[in-house]
Amino acid sequence: MASSSNINPYDNYESSRIEDVIDPDDLNVDDDDPLEATSATTPLNPTHLTSAIPGEDRRAPNNTLDESIWDTLSRDVFAVWEKMKAVLWPKFTFKKWPDANDVLESGGGFGNGGGRGAAVIGDWDLWGPLVFCLALSTLLSFSASDSQTTQVFAGVFSMVWIGEAVVTAQIKLLGGNISFFQSVSVIGYTLFPVVICALLSALHIPAIARVPVYAALYLWSLAAGVSILGGSGVVRNRVGLAVFPLGIFYGGLVCLCLVS
Amino acid sequence: MDSQQGALSWRLSAHPLTLGFFLAFRLASIFTYLFGLWFSSNFILIFIIVILLLAADFYYCKNIAGRRLVGLRWWNETNPETGEQTWVFESADETRQINATDSRFFWLTIYVVPLLWVFLAIIAIVRFEFIWLSLVVIAVILCATNGVAFSRADKFGNASSLAGSALNSSGGGAVRRFAGNMATRMFFSGGR
Repeated sequence: MASSSNINPYDNYESSRIEDVIDPDDLNVDDDDPLEATSATTPLNPTHLTSAIPGEDRRAPNNTLDESIWDTLSRDVFAVWEKMKAVLWPKFTFKKWPDANDVLESGGGFGNGGGRGAAVIGDWDLWGPLVFCLALSTLLSFSASDSQTTQVFAGVFSMVWIGEAVVTAQIKLLGGNISFFQSVSVIGYTLFPVVICALLSALHIPAIARVPVYAALYLWSLAAGVSILGGSGVVRNRVGLAVFPLGIFYGGLVCLCLVS
Repeated sequence: MDSQQGALSWRLSAHPLTLGFFLAFRLASIFTYLFGLWFSSNFILIFIIVILLLAADFYYCKNIAGRRLVGLRWWNETNPETGEQTWVFESADETRQINATDSRFFWLTIYVVPLLWVFLAIIAIVRFEFIWLSLVVIAVILCATNGVAFSRADKFGNASSLAGSALNSSGGGAVRRFAGNMATRMFFSGGR
């Protein structure tokens, strides 16, 4: 250490002091136990249990085992409502087209910078995708001819799930750090405007009125999808690439509503 | 656990209502799938009912039945910065008495029902009913997720309480911490 002349000796002095810190005699053993840092604060991690499924195991920080059923239900209903709010009032309204930075920031990719988008992505659930997918398939099958109802229902149902999976795969392949179900959850919730399209189709509104209304609803869906999902940590100059399959997916569903 | 204590009898249950709803949701989805077309020829209606029953069963099992019947709960978190998945478990401490009947009903149902759905999936493949197969695949995924997650939560809870009891049996203060640390290392470093 002494031979390396370009290092400031005071830096070395500081660092060696930190290594050789001496505890005062009256220190409580529990306060600054070096063993504690490796046992009590890090989770118990029986890795041999986790060989088949990825992900580490962790003990929950809080205890909700004895809460009432009402607490459980109200918390989850509230979480669903939070996600619906993010869809109903999307952050980007297309008055000003967001640039790549805005989109990336809105996604769940950057923990605290994400704000609402990150919170919405964080606690995902599949109620939105399930309900909206069923609603979409049912409403579109109403407007199909009698002999085709089953095929239309099954086709739309599988198209929605496969589409969500493909869009998610695209984002993940482009380096987005979002889990499969998080992405499916967000895309499922943003199907809400498309469900309105399907409802209008089931009510047989005239074709001339459809085009502008559906275009607006399509943009609404896309705005909600982009503002919640964002780039999700995709590399900066590939944001458009990550987002455009979302547009194709919504577009396909809206076209289905348009022609039915 | 002798046979009298854990018998599959309704009257021995500590939470008969919870258990009843749990079994009802699980069995209702299977029975609607099997016999629904006897009562209605509407494919879409049956499909939707079964899906909603499956979703309700998944939610009820994960969030309500699990913690009331066996004192376990699981969920899955994803780290927003790395995309890594974490399984988070809650398990009841040892002061809580788990009713043996409840526990047997719970574990039996949670392992048998996915197997039943797998069996139904094979039948659907053999009969070339691929529309119904999609429904059965969803059912298998949902039931198997709960089965795997709860068995993992159970193992995790057992492992933690084992380490915890080793920790409590030795003395206090630093010795206790050290012993706990050693116990943790001995138990959990094996498969690393």
